[in-house]
Amino acid sequence: MTNTEKLKDLVVDVFLIDPKEFRVDLKREEIETWDSLGVVSLAVGVQETFGHHFTQDEAMGIAGVRDIIKILEARGISFDE
Amino acid sequence: MGEVLVERCPEESLADLERHWASAQTFAYIHEKSAAAAPWLRGIPEQLPPSYRADHFCLLTSGTTGAPKLVIGCKQNSEELARVLHRAQDSEPVRETIVSLPLTYCYAFVNQWLWSRVMHRKLVLTPGFAKPELFRHALRRANDAMLCLVGPQVALLRNMFGGERFPGVIRLHFAGGRFPQEQLPALRELFPNAAIFNNYGCAEALPRLTLRRSEDGDLASDIGCPLPGVQLKSGEAGELLFLSQYRCVAQLDSHGFRPIAPDEWIPNGDLVREGSDGHWHLLGRAGEVFKRYGEKIALPQVLSTVNGQWHGQVGCYREKDGAGEDGYVLVLSPQPTSENLRGLLQAFRSSHPRSHWPLRIECAAVLPLHPNGKVDSLAVQSMGNRSQLWRQRI
Repeated sequence: MTNTEKLKDLVVDVFLIDPKEFRVDLKREEIETWDSLGVVSLAVGVQETFGHHFTQDEAMGIAGVRDIIKILEARGISFDE
Repeated sequence: MGEVLVERCPEESLADLERHWASAQTFAYIHEKSAAAAPWLRGIPEQLPPSYRADHFCLLTSGTTGAPKLVIGCKQNSEELARVLHRAQDSEPVRETIVSLPLTYCYAFVNQWLWSRVMHRKLVLTPGFAKPELFRHALRRANDAMLCLVGPQVALLRNMFGGERFPGVIRLHFAGGRFPQEQLPALRELFPNAAIFNNYGCAEALPRLTLRRSEDGDLASDIGCPLPGVQLKSGEAGELLFLSQYRCVAQLDSHGFRPIAPDEWIPNGDLVREGSDGHWHLLGRAGEVFKRYGEKIALPQVLSTVNGQWHGQVGCYREKDGAGEDGYVLVLSPQPTSENLRGLLQAFRSSHPRSHWPLRIECAAVLPLHPNGKVDSLAVQSMGNRSQLWRQRI
């Protein structure tokens, strides 16, 4: 499974979106379930899946899926698949 | 007091039950599983005051707390309730009642056994879903019959008898938990000639308080109007309090005997509100409404969403999340397909804020049931062989 696929599964699971809704350019405001508890849930999921623990600033600054990818790529986790 | 009559199978104890009811002596009628779990029952004769040792009967209830309690009723009052039910439920055309629940369960005891005795109707005993073929046979042979079920049995009905029709059942009653409003279309296919009723009550009421025909409301929470002789009110915290001519007159548990005064309003642990149309609505059990991250959660409302999507059995138990906030775990049986699960999760997304979502969704091949057919929530929590299907990472 690629990292993009892993991230897709995580976002689908955390925000209960339909898999077809997932896009790399999906924005936070497009998903009504991306609330504050959702951010906590996403952070736990990212740590479990990719081994990276979001800092508070990182977590608060995430505006969409692309931001998650940027943070993880900065930690050496590649999404060039 | 007479003796403790233990129900092993209904056929065995029926003659004894008739003899005990006809006798002046008070007796207790208890399911064998409950008798084994409540050794303090052996002390019943010494604990009942003399005035309760005649003309009364005792049934055991575990309620949702799991703590066994004996409810003591007056034979004459319960016979009168059977007549009241007969009129309120329009049961005159009914010729027989098919029993699928233990007769020691107060719902089956009063609505079926005592009703058949008082109204001179035929009692058809079956082992229920313990032996589905025998139960199916009785349903196929039903002759203007009344069938009394509890909500969790609907999943078994659909799984085992789906596609069949039982036109000989003309009355279908539900009690003992949430009314299966969402499954009425499927029930009407199985029982095309049946009038369907929500019979709400509790063991302390011995057992009925309200009645609603299925077509008189759209919500599972709608329990209808009080029966004649019954009054309801909600207390300061929204808890249901009732006065009833037919309710138990005393209770006995491991702490001892407690008589109930004639004018005493009895709480039954449910939270309610009265609608503008005079119908009462269940909001949940006192323990089933709680706050999570500041949001009030009523588990019955959540379960209503689940039952709209999932037609198998459902159990749930309370648990705290990693932050110490109250939550709950949903347990499904049998294992849902991935499409079923996705549909259920989508229903949570569209109908509830995240704080209402379960901490986890698990599944098990079989859910433990009480003898009366209801899911045993305490046993669900402690059972092994549960698989996790989904979880909130929180």
